[in-house]
Amino acid sequence: MIEESPRQHYTDREKEEIFNKEFLPHINSMYNFGYRLTLDRDDAKDLVQDTYLKAYRFIESFQKGTNAKAWLFRILKNSFINDYRKKSKEPNKVDYQEVETYYNSEEVDRQITPDLRVEALKDMIGDEISNALNALDVDFRTVIILCDLEGFKYEEMAKILDIPIGTVRSRLHRARQLLKEKLSDYAKSMGYKNADV
Amino acid sequence: MSQSSSSPNPFISASGAKPTCMQMLQFMLDNEVTSEQKEYFKNHMDGCMPCFKTYQLDMAIKELLKNKCCGGDAPSELVDQIRSQIAQKIS
Repeated sequence: MIEESPRQHYTDREKEEIFNKEFLPHINSMYNFGYRLTLDRDDAKDLVQDTYLKAYRFIESFQKGTNAKAWLFRILKNSFINDYRKKSKEPNKVDYQEVETYYNSEEVDRQITPDLRVEALKDMIGDEISNALNALDVDFRTVIILCDLEGFKYEEMAKILDIPIGTVRSRLHRARQLLKEKLSDYAKSMGYKNADV
Repeated sequence: MSQSSSSPNPFISASGAKPTCMQMLQFMLDNEVTSEQKEYFKNHMDGCMPCFKTYQLDMAIKELLKNKCCGGDAPSELVDQIRSQIAQKIS
């Protein structure tokens, strides 16, 4: 699916082995991804379950020993879009054209100094960062999860999300700016009066 | 900076475009750099305070995200549920 590899042929035993050794080890990451997308533990469970069933059903389009994690993440992301996002009300679709323009403009470097300090982050020992992440629009949240939590490379993210690498980068950039704005609000509420200088 | 006169900026793309501080920062942050680029940026930071500060902050956020937003385990019954569903489908 992700690498468009030719259809494989596996015996039942091979399928079992791939499933156990290549798919199941990613279940915690998958569950976290599902939870961060749906923001609901039950929905996350359903989503992960659907994903693994689909992965098993389409196991012959997965080439043994390749990037199982990226393949699974892509299935989960697609299931989320097709099955969950339709149900939920998410009217605020992001204007990516605007994001792209923003990223490429000269203006960006001028505001490179963020109004947030490293010291303020040290006091965020509770759910502040998690809440800030969850409050982001789902498309922005997704790139942060894939990059910062899961360590995917640009190329892998582009395949998981079906978007060009340039868009991955600009979306990540914007997502981080938005996250910083939220963290900066927390910092201010915690009493860092000069959080924005 | 002094370094730029001695060695070419390894971030310069095939098109010849000079990268902005922000672009270099992002490549660093996302670990999409060669060791040569990493070295160049480390030198660059010595003379560019905004880059230094932003890099420290962004790395701290990245670390915080990793520590606080992942590492939870999937519910223990989930694997069994998946297995039994697959077993049903096969039989």
